[in-house]
Amino acid sequence: MSRGTLPPFSVPWKKVMRLFLRRAVWLMAVILAGGLLGATLVRYAPGYGVDERELDPRLSQASVEALRVQHHPNANLLGYYAKYLTNAVRGDLGISESTQRPVSELIHERFPVTAKAVLLGMLSAWSLAFFLAMLGQYFRGWVFEVSSTLLTGFLLALPSTVIALLFVYFRAPVYLAIACVTFPKLFRFIHNLLVQAYEQPHVLAARARGIGPVRIFLRHVLAFASPALFALLGVSLSLAFGAAIPIEALTDSPGIGQLAWFAAINRDLPLVVNLTLLVTLITVAGNSLADYSGHLATRAS
Amino acid sequence: MSSSKSLRLVAGLLLSAIFLLALGANFVAPYSYAKQFRNAPSAAPSAVHLFGTDALGRDEFSRLLFGTRVSLLLAPAAALLSTFIAGILGGLAAFLGGWWERAILASADLLMALPLLFVLLALRATLPLDVAPLISAMATFLILSLLGWPSSLRVVWAAARNIRESDFLLLARSSGSSPLRVIVRQILPSLSPVLAAQFWVTIPVFILAEATLSMLGLGVMEPLPSWGNLLRGLENPSAFQANPWTIAPLILLIIVVFCFQFILPSRGDLD
Repeated sequence: MSRGTLPPFSVPWKKVMRLFLRRAVWLMAVILAGGLLGATLVRYAPGYGVDERELDPRLSQASVEALRVQHHPNANLLGYYAKYLTNAVRGDLGISESTQRPVSELIHERFPVTAKAVLLGMLSAWSLAFFLAMLGQYFRGWVFEVSSTLLTGFLLALPSTVIALLFVYFRAPVYLAIACVTFPKLFRFIHNLLVQAYEQPHVLAARARGIGPVRIFLRHVLAFASPALFALLGVSLSLAFGAAIPIEALTDSPGIGQLAWFAAINRDLPLVVNLTLLVTLITVAGNSLADYSGHLATRAS
Repeated sequence: MSSSKSLRLVAGLLLSAIFLLALGANFVAPYSYAKQFRNAPSAAPSAVHLFGTDALGRDEFSRLLFGTRVSLLLAPAAALLSTFIAGILGGLAAFLGGWWERAILASADLLMALPLLFVLLALRATLPLDVAPLISAMATFLILSLLGWPSSLRVVWAAARNIRESDFLLLARSSGSSPLRVIVRQILPSLSPVLAAQFWVTIPVFILAEATLSMLGLGVMEPLPSWGNLLRGLENPSAFQANPWTIAPLILLIIVVFCFQFILPSRGDLD
């Protein structure tokens, strides 16, 4: 091997598989625990299994009892949860109490709208945050620091509902509102990370040797920052889905965020719990994938 | 005095002034927050109604003062409870170690994996919408504090673990100090800067979460005002054009959250 060349990168498959399995177990644990939490909420929420017909004075006691039996098929929580899981595996997520439509059908209709808005929003927020953070590296000084702190501080101080209203006034697309909510958090993290990366001794040494800025960025800065950036990618997915609820509710965008708000307003617990589980599943899977990629990136660098 | 310290002083003074004004709402506000002037709905600002009235004829200035009191009293209370839970669980995880540590950290990770706003909606949906306004305010902030502790727990746990392995704790134990004395005299004073930082960080998060929930109609219920339900006035652009003071709660919210951002001690101060 000649001086200055690195040994070829080989993927340690055993370690990677172990990490993958650990993540899969964690994902299952989150789904099961989240499902149990959801089932508990539905089962013990005030009004569970109550039928307005029970108040009808014309019905006999036996008829009222029959109605109660009909609406309390699972008196114990574990029985209810087991039935819920069995049905969920078959793709049956139950019936929405407020719309009287299958939950899976509602999700199928609305999920693409939110997925598109969230992905475009994340792409916009990441592009802007990365661009400005890079700009900060070339225009170092108090002017950039103060102006970026004020801009991100202002955006962080605005509730996402107010940002949504501004976008309604200006008739701007929903994904830009999601980008506006996620951008300040991303920018602050990326900016600090790049400052830290450019202050690394090996980066300073590379600059002193006259290596070009593009090469330094690609070979040294990105290699240092990539695990943290991948982790941030996973977190930003969760942030973007969280922002989707108020934004879709106030901009009247027919996605799952609006559906969750509608379900909460109507106390439609089966719907809101299924939506929470779905988003949890997506964000945890996204986080796991990001961690996994970050691990590979660390190994490669 | 350095610029960051003077900025922190200004932010602290501004926050104190707003906090005092909100605490004295009963004396400063000209009217009750629920009093309706039926002959003056959506009135423009005047000497009688400084910030005008809302669509139901309620004095906007009085509602802003009482709303500030609700948000600025309950958010710190919720942050205190959340930090307390994080402190207890983080401390237990660090000092008990083993399976206790793993179980507590795993449960915190599990809660952090759930998207906060979706879980907030799910929990809020278990409560009836027509609860008494004060109960709705309490329930909103209680739910926030019960869901907000996991992010602080990791920080507290890391700090507590460092203390567990410190020489001074070993010395205190070997000199025969009782466990209670070790906790009160050694551990708590060492953890207090971290707990204080977590407390201050959590307050604006809870203020913003309440504002979001209340604007969606799932937080503090009318007629009790909070910054969140006062911001609902912005949903009607024509009302905002007729009375620009409708934006006052938003300006106050931004000032307060900004002040909390500046008031936080920097890493250098903690060292």
